[in-house]
Amino acid sequence: MVEIRIHGRGGQGGVTLAKIIATSRFLLGQSVQAFGLYAAERSGAPIQAFCRYDDDPIANRNLIYSPDHIIVLDPTLVGPAITGGLKPGGWILINTTKAPQEMAEQFPDNPIATVDATAIARANKLGTRSVPIVNTALAGASARMLGFELSEIHDALEHLGFVGPNIVAASQAHEALRLPEAVEDEAAEVPVVEGVLAEETAEAAGAVETPAPYTVVPRGPSFLEGAGGDLPGIETGQWATEQPHRQQYVPPCNHVCPAGNDVQGFLHALAHDDPDRALEILLESSPFPAVCGRVCPAPCMASCNRIDLDGAVNVRQLERYAGDNGNASLTPMEPRDERVGVVGSGPAGLTAAYHLARYGYRVTVYESTADLGGLLRSGIPRFRLPEDVLDEEIGRILSLGVEVETEHPIDRRELMDMAGRHDAVLVATGLQELRGLRLGIGDTPAVDQGIDFLDLARRGQVRVDGEDVVVVGGGNTAMDAARSSLRLGANSVRVVYRRTRDEMPAIAEEIDEALEEGVQLDYLTQPITLQPNGSTAQESSDPGDGGYRLTGRRMELGEPVEAGRRRPVEIPGSDFELTCSRLILALGQSPDLSVFPEGTEVREGDELLGLLETPVFAIGDLATNDGTVAGAIGSGRRSALHIHGALSGERTETTEHATARRDVDVWHDEVIRSDAMRLHLFERQAGQEGTSLPMATRQSTFDEIHMGLTDPSEAKRCLSCGVCNECDLCVTYCPEGVLKRVGHRLEFDYAYCKGCGICVTECPRNVIFMSHL
Amino acid sequence: MPVEVVTGNHAAGHALSVAAEANRDARGAACGIYPITPQTEIVEYVAKYPFTKCRVVPVESEHSAMGVSIGASLAGARAFTASSSNGLAYMVENIMVAGFYRLPIVMAAVNRTLGPPWNIWADHGDTLMLRDFPWIQFYCESNQEIMDTTLLAFRIAEDHRILLPALVALDAFILSHTQGETDLADQGQADRYLPHLDLPHRMRHDDPKTLGGLMWPDVAASLRLEIDEAMLRVPAVFEEARAEFVEVFGRDPGGALQTLGTEDAETILVAIGSIATTTHEVVQARRAAGEKVGLIKLKMFRPFPEEAFRDACRTASRVGVLDRNYAAGMGGVFWQDIRAAFQSTRNDLLIQDYLTGLCGGDVTPAMIDEVLSDLMARERAERPVWMGIAA
Repeated sequence: MVEIRIHGRGGQGGVTLAKIIATSRFLLGQSVQAFGLYAAERSGAPIQAFCRYDDDPIANRNLIYSPDHIIVLDPTLVGPAITGGLKPGGWILINTTKAPQEMAEQFPDNPIATVDATAIARANKLGTRSVPIVNTALAGASARMLGFELSEIHDALEHLGFVGPNIVAASQAHEALRLPEAVEDEAAEVPVVEGVLAEETAEAAGAVETPAPYTVVPRGPSFLEGAGGDLPGIETGQWATEQPHRQQYVPPCNHVCPAGNDVQGFLHALAHDDPDRALEILLESSPFPAVCGRVCPAPCMASCNRIDLDGAVNVRQLERYAGDNGNASLTPMEPRDERVGVVGSGPAGLTAAYHLARYGYRVTVYESTADLGGLLRSGIPRFRLPEDVLDEEIGRILSLGVEVETEHPIDRRELMDMAGRHDAVLVATGLQELRGLRLGIGDTPAVDQGIDFLDLARRGQVRVDGEDVVVVGGGNTAMDAARSSLRLGANSVRVVYRRTRDEMPAIAEEIDEALEEGVQLDYLTQPITLQPNGSTAQESSDPGDGGYRLTGRRMELGEPVEAGRRRPVEIPGSDFELTCSRLILALGQSPDLSVFPEGTEVREGDELLGLLETPVFAIGDLATNDGTVAGAIGSGRRSALHIHGALSGERTETTEHATARRDVDVWHDEVIRSDAMRLHLFERQAGQEGTSLPMATRQSTFDEIHMGLTDPSEAKRCLSCGVCNECDLCVTYCPEGVLKRVGHRLEFDYAYCKGCGICVTECPRNVIFMSHL
Repeated sequence: MPVEVVTGNHAAGHALSVAAEANRDARGAACGIYPITPQTEIVEYVAKYPFTKCRVVPVESEHSAMGVSIGASLAGARAFTASSSNGLAYMVENIMVAGFYRLPIVMAAVNRTLGPPWNIWADHGDTLMLRDFPWIQFYCESNQEIMDTTLLAFRIAEDHRILLPALVALDAFILSHTQGETDLADQGQADRYLPHLDLPHRMRHDDPKTLGGLMWPDVAASLRLEIDEAMLRVPAVFEEARAEFVEVFGRDPGGALQTLGTEDAETILVAIGSIATTTHEVVQARRAAGEKVGLIKLKMFRPFPEEAFRDACRTASRVGVLDRNYAAGMGGVFWQDIRAAFQSTRNDLLIQDYLTGLCGGDVTPAMIDEVLSDLMARERAERPVWMGIAA
């Protein structure tokens, strides 16, 4: 009979290892036993498992006291205690990175074989994400010291249903087994190790089958005197092979926010019904939460991990909720002497002014028109962004002491002049050059630029009663112009766009709403000519009485161009005519660089006029051509930080995302994706949309369409991806009670943590990881 | 079914499942289940089994588990369950009811020390707590014996001459969690071995009746007498069931007693459960060395096979009983019954009790050797000897 004792830790698979070895013998017709020594220990506690095999039926049912061989699953268990009763010459197989020679001194009477089964198990992804299971690897390694064929272990593994990586691990460990030098030398001639080696050696030593002697143990303490005595006081952390640590990832929303908002942070505050704190967090990066909460395309929502569960968190509406309902007071830092001039009062310019004012700089904003806000005011209709909302947020910026000079256009000469009067100048004039279209017709009042049309509409200086309006373009300006036309009395409104809906740059919701309100959309259509009705003359611009007719041409999508969008290609002979009394062009804008010296190339963060003492920077759309409010805010913020760094010499935080860094052991700069989350731990719950004006009312009023959320409970849907939100499931499920929350900090009592990994498994957001000791 | 390396719990779960399935074309089967260490794997096995006609009902306690089995059995289903230790203690009221209702329920009972102090290892005190109830009791020493005895138990319990519940006991961990080669019965064999259950007093909606209402002393006492008569018929029915088992399965499930060397032994050890394997090995070695020692392995404890026992001890002058249990104020339970069996028939016989492996202690060959040395040197029997613990 051969008897093997296995030393491991709860959860490592020691009993199954005994079963694998037993099964390999059973399949060859031998009688077998495999069992564990069970007690109250859970994961991580030292355990023993046993295996017997014999040609004859096994005739005893007691534990193994005098094993032929020992297998050690965990190197931290190696010590004199494990070899108790081991027959001289019996093998000791240890899962360790060390070589057998390094352990020879400790066990002079026994040959030692080693293998790094943990590395092999990890490489084959065996076990849980917290604890590797090493038994199948060790089964493969044990074949050599027990004198089995590897195929016999493979047969046992397959018989027990351990396939794929388990078989691979067994083979790899079999190959990687390290034997004492003496045995390895012999290996050239003799088959590596015979299972009988131990028996032969033991026989020589006269120690075969010595049964354990009968022993009488002293009585324990009396029950009345406290049987069991004091608490054992075992520091069970010594059993650990793995330890949990805290980590943090970047949530995808924070990563993609062009404004650099700490999205997860403000949602966390709202989830705790604290709009004041939410606003405070938002104001760290952006002075325009109420604006962005209305007009942002919200890339955060497109990247939200919750999409893979039940739909994105409605971050846009929640930002609006914080902006509309939060109260936060801003305290600028100590005033500084340096002056900064900002040209343009759009979102980029005002954001830069805001941050610089908070740093204490003396900031003056120069605006060419009478009103502050740039395109926020002139280019976005009131039904999407009411002016009082904009005024309030601009008011908050001005309250920091920002000075304003309206109706003060800056030309090239004055820019030079300004540079002399300021310590830094930021140019944030946006995209002023409007793109046109050749339509075979000269100047005519029937053709408007979308931006101009929206500004006229805002001032109440245009009506389109009874007109058939055609808008050309696919961006937000096109949608806004079309929807404004409906509200201004148009008979019909048609948007023509040369690509398909998928390529439209407008916010998806705005396209949906335009369609709901009655705007017609012609995709894959290119306007070719505009002619007065009844006229055939190519160059006639006479409006006549019958309005105009627009000739369109059908397009199809060709090969993708560099930017990724597919290029529209004309379909010959597909021309058709549309009735049109007014044509609105919304084809995009480009920067007007006339304010800079000839030949200037503009890039964000570049000093343009290095020849002067004063740095002059271009920021916002002018520099980035990004086109979104959030992008302009981000540019304004980054530029302000940059200028502050340049003027003060202080180091400034210039990361792209503003994730609040918690007190954790490891920060990852990578974004956490949904596959790294435990989505199954979250309850499915539909998102909230907020309320809107009824359709019948919408077409006749410029009142704001959306009324927003009535409470911030939508924020509770935030999964807080990769950032601890103190849900404390880990504390609840820790079976050892070694996890506790101290304020905002999570603390592990490593003296008693056995490294079971349950906290890792239970954490829905992957903020705890195990490290091997 | 091929021979497989499985645990004792697996063997028990499998035996209960194929037995239940064997009644699929009749009234089906049912069981209430509630887990307890070290029995849990049995009910897990049953809960996962792809039955054709068996209702497995997870309940909130052992008491209800037996309650479900009682109800199902009364409705004519083949009923069973499993428990252990303090779970059995909580189940007791209904265990008793099942017996007095004459319901042929089969229960796998994993022998575990009754607490406190808390202890999960093998001790027979839990099932011996039930010894005076109308239940047949079997104790096993191997996974194969668990498999075979469970099927045997259904066969005996459901026999119309018997109609009593039966429990099949297996030692915690030493059997319940130890893997060993086991020939698992296949469904065809179980179908051949176990006829459909036909419970004569089963409840029928077209013939309503009351069971166990108030009864006058003479009526109630005569029902006790009826149980006694049924109990006395068990050994004969056992032997019939055993013979048919050999026919279907081609192996002997063993009788109420299994003996080694009792034909000429002067000194006999009595072992129950897994201790019997180790004792067998020691006795065999002693006999090989020429000593006249023998072994009685007691498989069936209730009804107590008195006659067979006396017969097996006819050449002996000394009997040592290995009791893995302790009856407070008395000693080993098996020892008491064995002493009673020889009362006034063999007053010369020295019957000494050895409390071995209590509360899960490991019973080694060396300990059995020590018992034999003590027993063979004895002039007279005394109070039970506590093995392995300083007096």
